[in-house]
Amino acid sequence: MKPAAILVERNGGSCQRPAVLEVSDLGKQYTRRGSVRPALEGVSLTIREGEMVGLLGPNGAGKTTLLKILATLIEPDSGSVSLFGRDLARDPAWARRRIGLVTCDERSFYWRLSGRHNLEFFATLYGVGRRLARERIDMLLETLGLTEAAGRPYHTYSTGMRQKLAIARGLVADPRFVLYDEPTRSLDPLSAQNIRNWIAENRAAAGNTTHLLATNQLNEAERLCERVLILNRGQLIADASIGAIRARFAAAETATHRIRCRRFSLAGRLHPAPAEGLLEIAAEPAEGESCTLRIRTQAGGAGLSYVLRAILDSGGVVEACETESIPLEEIFCSLVGEPRA
Amino acid sequence: MRLAWAFFRRDAAIALSYRAAFVAQLLGNLLLVGILYFVSRTVGLSKLPSLERYGGNFMAFLLIGVALTDTVLISLFGFAQQVRESQTTGTLEATLVSPVSLPLILLYSSLWGYMMSAVRFLMYLGAGLVLGGLHTGSMNAPATAVLFLLTVMCFFGAGILLAGVVLVVKRGEAIITLGGVLVMLLSGVLFPVSLMPDWLRRIAELIPLTTALEGMRLALLTGAGIVQLAPLLLRLAVFAAVLLAAGVGGLYYAVRLGRRNGSLSQY
Repeated sequence: MKPAAILVERNGGSCQRPAVLEVSDLGKQYTRRGSVRPALEGVSLTIREGEMVGLLGPNGAGKTTLLKILATLIEPDSGSVSLFGRDLARDPAWARRRIGLVTCDERSFYWRLSGRHNLEFFATLYGVGRRLARERIDMLLETLGLTEAAGRPYHTYSTGMRQKLAIARGLVADPRFVLYDEPTRSLDPLSAQNIRNWIAENRAAAGNTTHLLATNQLNEAERLCERVLILNRGQLIADASIGAIRARFAAAETATHRIRCRRFSLAGRLHPAPAEGLLEIAAEPAEGESCTLRIRTQAGGAGLSYVLRAILDSGGVVEACETESIPLEEIFCSLVGEPRA
Repeated sequence: MRLAWAFFRRDAAIALSYRAAFVAQLLGNLLLVGILYFVSRTVGLSKLPSLERYGGNFMAFLLIGVALTDTVLISLFGFAQQVRESQTTGTLEATLVSPVSLPLILLYSSLWGYMMSAVRFLMYLGAGLVLGGLHTGSMNAPATAVLFLLTVMCFFGAGILLAGVVLVVKRGEAIITLGGVLVMLLSGVLFPVSLMPDWLRRIAELIPLTTALEGMRLALLTGAGIVQLAPLLLRLAVFAAVLLAAGVGGLYYAVRLGRRNGSLSQY
C-alpha cells in the first residue's frame, strides 16, 4: 500500500510554476545475501521550477538512495521519475546533461591535478565548449574565492576549498536542476556559513534553476529552503514549508513567550493557571527596574492575555513581548519519532 | 575528439606528476631489454631449430613477444584496473553522473596507456635493430600495422569484459594475476608454442595472443605480407568481433546490475 506523508502542504504560488521533478510511488530495496532491506517505499513528490527544497531525514532514512536515483546512479525497483517531463529511466543521458550533482566526497576529484584542470575535465564531460567552459570556470572560481588556488594541485586544498570546488564542479555545466548532497558536512561553522551564503546568493542570481538540498543541518535547511521533504525509514513523512511545519506544531502543542516589563514583580502575583491557558511562569533575574518573564501557554489559549492583563492591572509597563519559535530540531525529532537528545 | 583529448591530458598530467615512477618505469623497460639480450646470448646467438620459421634468432623472438604482450596486457587488464582504481579513489561516480557512457570513458581513459605502450613497442623494436636480430629489410610494415590493430581490438573486447567482472565482483586482482600468467604461459611469449604438448597447444590456439604473436613474428622477421597472413588475420578478426560484442554486452550488463543493486561505487 502506498504510504502517505503525514504532513503535506499544498503550496500556493509555486503551483503556478512548471514541475521540474515528479516522483511517483518510488520504491527501492536492497537485497544482500537473502535479506531484504527497504530503502524507499512509495515516495511521491513534486519539485517546481526555481524552488530550493530541503531533503531531511535521519541517517539511513533513504536520502542518499533518493539522490542517487535522481542522479541516475541507481535504478529504482518501482515507481517513476520524470525530469522536465521526460522519463528518467528512458533517457538517463539526457537527464544527466541537465543535472548538477554537488557531493561532499572529496575523493571524487583527481588529487594530482589542479583545481582548474579538474573543472576543465568535468566541463568537457558535460560537453561545455572550450571558451564557455573557461568563462564559467573563471566566474565560479572568482565568486567562490578560489582564483588564487586554481593552479595548485587539489591535494593541497583545505576541506573548505575542496567543498567549494565540488560546488563549482556541480555548476560548471550550468545545470537546470542541482542536487546538493550535504554541501557543508565536515566544515567548520565559518566555512559552512560562507558556503550557505554563496548558495543563497547563487540561487538568487540563477533564477529558474531548481535545487534539492540533502542535509542533516536543520538550520541550513531553514536558512536556504522554502520547503522541506522529510524522509524516515524510506517513507516521506513531511512535504511542507518550514513555516507550515512550525504552525502545525504550534497549533497542536504549546507556545513559549518572553515578556520584558518594568515596575512589575512576579513575587506572589501570578501562578500557573491551566484554566486560563497559562501552564508555566518564571522570572529571569531582574536588571534594575526591568524584569523578564518566561511563560509557557496552551497554544491558541488566552494564557498570554491573562499575564499581560495582570502586569498592566498592577501598574506595570510592558516593554517587549516575543514568542519563541519551536526549535526545528525538536520538530524533526518529534516527526521521526525519536526523543530529542 | 575534445573528449578524447581531455582524458589523454588528464592521464598524462597524472602520470607525469609522479616523475620518479615515470622515469623508473622507462628504465625498467630498458633493463628488461638487457635481460632478454643476455638470456638470448646464454641460449646462443646461432639459429635455433625450433625458431626456424621465424628466422631462428632468439633475441628477436623474445623482443617481439614482450613488445606485443605489453600492449595486450594494457588492453586486457588496463580497463579492469581503471575501474578498480576509480572505485577506490572515488572518481567513478563523478564520471558516471556525466552524459558520457562507461564504455567511452574506459576507451578514452586507455589512450595514454596505449600511447605509452606504442612507445615501448617501438623501443623494443629499436633495441632489436640495434642489438641484432631485427632488420628493417625483413619487416612488413602494413601487415604489422593490421596485426597490431586487430590485436588491440581483440583484447579491448576482452579487457572491457574483465572490467565488467571487476565492477560486479570488486576484487579483481586475483583474476588479473591468474589471467596474466596464463596468457604468458600459453601464448608463446617467451618460447615457441610448438614446444608444448599437443593438448596444451590446442588450448593455446584459443587465445588470440597466440595467433597475434605468430603473425607479428612472421611479419617482422620474415617479411610475410597481408596475403600470406590472411588466415591468421581472419582468425584474429573473428576473435575481435566475438570479444568486442561480448565485452560491450558484458559491461552494459555489469553497469545495469550495479545501478540496480546500488553497488557501482562500492569497493
